[in-house]
Amino acid sequence: MGKTMATDTERQEELEARIQKYHGASIGQVLDEIQYLRDAGDSVIVGGSLAYGLGNHLSDLDLVIAGPTTVESSRVPVEQFLGSLRIDVWKLAQGLIEETFNRAEEALAGDQALHGSFGNVDHENELKLLHRIAFGIVVDGGGLELAPGRDYRRVAAGVVVREYAERMRASALLAQLALRAGRSIAAVVNARQAVEEALNATIANRELPFSGDKWLRERLATEASDLAPIYEPFRQLPEDPQREAPRFVDEAIAACRDAWGLDLGIEALAPSASWRNTDLQAAEIGEDRLLLSAQFGALWHLDEEEATTWSRLVADVGAEGPQATWSLEDCDEAALTLCIRLHERGVLGLHWTRGVSIGELEMIKSVRA
Amino acid sequence: MRASEVDARRYAWCRSQALWVIGMPAHTFLEDVHGAKEADQDGLLRYAARMIGEACAVALNLALNYERPVPSPAMRSSWALEQLQGHELWQPCWDLIRGAEVDSAQEIVERCDRLIAEVHAILGEIPNILTPEGYYPAIGMARDWIKLMETVGEESPLPLEWMQSS
Repeated sequence: MGKTMATDTERQEELEARIQKYHGASIGQVLDEIQYLRDAGDSVIVGGSLAYGLGNHLSDLDLVIAGPTTVESSRVPVEQFLGSLRIDVWKLAQGLIEETFNRAEEALAGDQALHGSFGNVDHENELKLLHRIAFGIVVDGGGLELAPGRDYRRVAAGVVVREYAERMRASALLAQLALRAGRSIAAVVNARQAVEEALNATIANRELPFSGDKWLRERLATEASDLAPIYEPFRQLPEDPQREAPRFVDEAIAACRDAWGLDLGIEALAPSASWRNTDLQAAEIGEDRLLLSAQFGALWHLDEEEATTWSRLVADVGAEGPQATWSLEDCDEAALTLCIRLHERGVLGLHWTRGVSIGELEMIKSVRA
Repeated sequence: MRASEVDARRYAWCRSQALWVIGMPAHTFLEDVHGAKEADQDGLLRYAARMIGEACAVALNLALNYERPVPSPAMRSSWALEQLQGHELWQPCWDLIRGAEVDSAQEIVERCDRLIAEVHAILGEIPNILTPEGYYPAIGMARDWIKLMETVGEESPLPLEWMQSS
């Protein structure tokens, strides 16, 4: 089982020792370097991998500067160099931080899918921000005076649990749909992803600070070593996905179900999953059957079966209407295959009509316990 | 004078995606690979190597096949690998994406270095924004791409804040 988090003083001493060892720099020098960005009464909070006992000599130091008089907020961090130490500074208005926590709390109370609204796979800035504030080390200033009566760590952890549970659900569905459609590489990639997301959700639920997907395996080797055996069979994808994907996907779905108790079968997930068209529309030129996306300047030639399937979707579910969305339940086998292929091309989105609520996850866990 | 293989909008969109959205994170992951090797962080090493495999496959598909749009992260690997079948870099990309466990840490680092060098030879070099010497040249180059994107009427994948003078 994982180690418990050290006290703030111990964490600051450990952080100081690490940047001294890696870069010959002190926290005081870091503070001097960013002094010009400071405002009266603000605080400097260190988050990120170095603050969480992860990281290495090439890791950057992630700082948040925020306080009651801070007014500007930037989409991209200000990058500073102190010798070999790279410092990323996020200067944020305190109101923006409060607003982000308010939004997170509201999202956790509802059952709408997060849809990556606090950070998707590409950009996890808000998820990381929530954790930097809740779990970071205040190295200067008195710390943020945030609204009382809220468990900031629980909210930050809850959003990551929820986000990763929803990602796990999506990956599990895509793995199975891709398998059915004969897309074996997509199937095994998503199956492994689902297991990793299940494990990331489990780790977040233990209130270990979030630092992104890349540290998962280091955490399985240290703070969450009891979970490592779950991951072991999925560390590498099969050498021959065509042959081994069915077994690999089945085992991954079973591992996710064991971890979180959710039924992740296609039949269970289909009612809350929909395909969403971008701007795809069929076109006929002579005997050619084309599918066109004007927005992306993309065009595909359909074979007869594909053209018939698309026509059926247009007739049955209005697939070419503005913002057209149709449930996976409305798709037969041929339609599912065509839709997953179009999703793989980036021209059909996967949309969820409901989220995976924390209440649902806790209820499942308590019933199983 | 040599004409672009595709129209200006597609060229600008695909190349800028390849270089900046996909290519730039590859620098970060390469740094992670080297940092992880030296710190004996095997899990980080293998994760970063996998992401390099994916980033390179996607960047190659954009640069060689001018495919657009780029699908969601869940589907990028399979999308890119399908279009790259028969290319000499298909196997190196797939080996890293797969996360083959038989290699030593040193061998993985070498594979990553080699693949990124080969992809850069196709795509062109971009300054490493993660280094003091590469930071401002990278921002300068980003501005050039943003201008090109605006000129051809495409949305820039880069933060427009980079257009502001510092």
